[in-house]
Amino acid sequence: MTTQKMESDPHRPSELLDALRGLGVQLAVSVPDSWLSEILIRIEQEPSMSLIRATHEEEALAVACGARLGGRRSVLMIQNVGLLTIGAGMVSLAQRYQFPLLILASYRGTLEDAIFYHIPKGRVTEPVLQGFGLRYAVANSERPIGEQVKQAATFAEESSNPFVLLLAQKDIQW
Amino acid sequence: MVNVSRPTRETYYRVLADCLSEETLVVTALGNASYLWAKIRDAPENFYLEDAMGLALPLALGLAVAQPERKVVVVEGDGGLLMHMGALVTLGAIAPENLTVLLIQNGVHAASGGQPLTNASLDFANLGRVLGLKHAENIDSAESFRTTIVAALERRGPSLLALATEPDLTAAMPPFSLDPVGTKRRFTEAIGAPQYLPTFFGGGKLVAPKF
Repeated sequence: MTTQKMESDPHRPSELLDALRGLGVQLAVSVPDSWLSEILIRIEQEPSMSLIRATHEEEALAVACGARLGGRRSVLMIQNVGLLTIGAGMVSLAQRYQFPLLILASYRGTLEDAIFYHIPKGRVTEPVLQGFGLRYAVANSERPIGEQVKQAATFAEESSNPFVLLLAQKDIQW
Repeated sequence: MVNVSRPTRETYYRVLADCLSEETLVVTALGNASYLWAKIRDAPENFYLEDAMGLALPLALGLAVAQPERKVVVVEGDGGLLMHMGALVTLGAIAPENLTVLLIQNGVHAASGGQPLTNASLDFANLGRVLGLKHAENIDSAESFRTTIVAALERRGPSLLALATEPDLTAAMPPFSLDPVGTKRRFTEAIGAPQYLPTFFGGGKLVAPKF
């Protein structure tokens, strides 16, 4: 029974990291969240990847855009609060210059994460993304997460614009 | 204290244009940082920002990390740096050896009409040293800038040169439209950065450009 469960329910953060590796992501830029803590350490240990710990999400966005300008595939890893603080850079840099940026954001303040101080952020996250005209998806818990990360990255590239994948705890917390 | 003999941005830019090699990548912040540089020394290796205040430095940091074999110079304003002071902390932590920061310290928000900054007289060189930058200097003349930028481009950085500058409140008309996507495409082609090949053509990944 245990074996069957493991086969049908793989460790999703490992799968996510495998997907980043498979995509050729060389740089992750992050402002951390408790759900992201361990996977960021794993990324730091990856021979093919490096991690920049930024001080603010808008700054992180610019670092990731700069890396892509230089030809490196990069990913932005933040909490959804960062999607609220990132606005000016999103509009005037990432969208205006059409950077195909993959953004992986922990989706705090949802039904599964009903922590009082996260709930206000969860309430406005999707309306804010819609306001920016940003394409995004909420990760489907029934589907492998690696495949969804690859699809999100591909969508960003093919649309020449950022794409946000909102992640549940089991998707990202190691 | 206002030093009336501060050089203008144009004076510094003319010196910079003299000292740069063609291979050096230059990122310029919004306003005259971009417009004037486009007039004085346009090159495909320039990446011009219009708006995106405070993001020239972190963008250049990402670029320097991605292109470790190329020298990268970023021109940021003191207002922009104050807006994202944290980027200087990240720069000190990552410390790319190929990045030189030129900080136009004019004490005002020049691009929006010259409103005074929250603090117009910060010692940015001292701040840079505190944050772990290998080299950080305050500059207030074209002659000292010439000596310092030549040295900065030859040595291992990162370097921060804070340039005391007379405000220029009139927008310099660039010689052409700084089309953002066109600027980006021209830049990435000039440096030979890998490009995305669409899935429709069997790609789905970044590939080296064909020359």
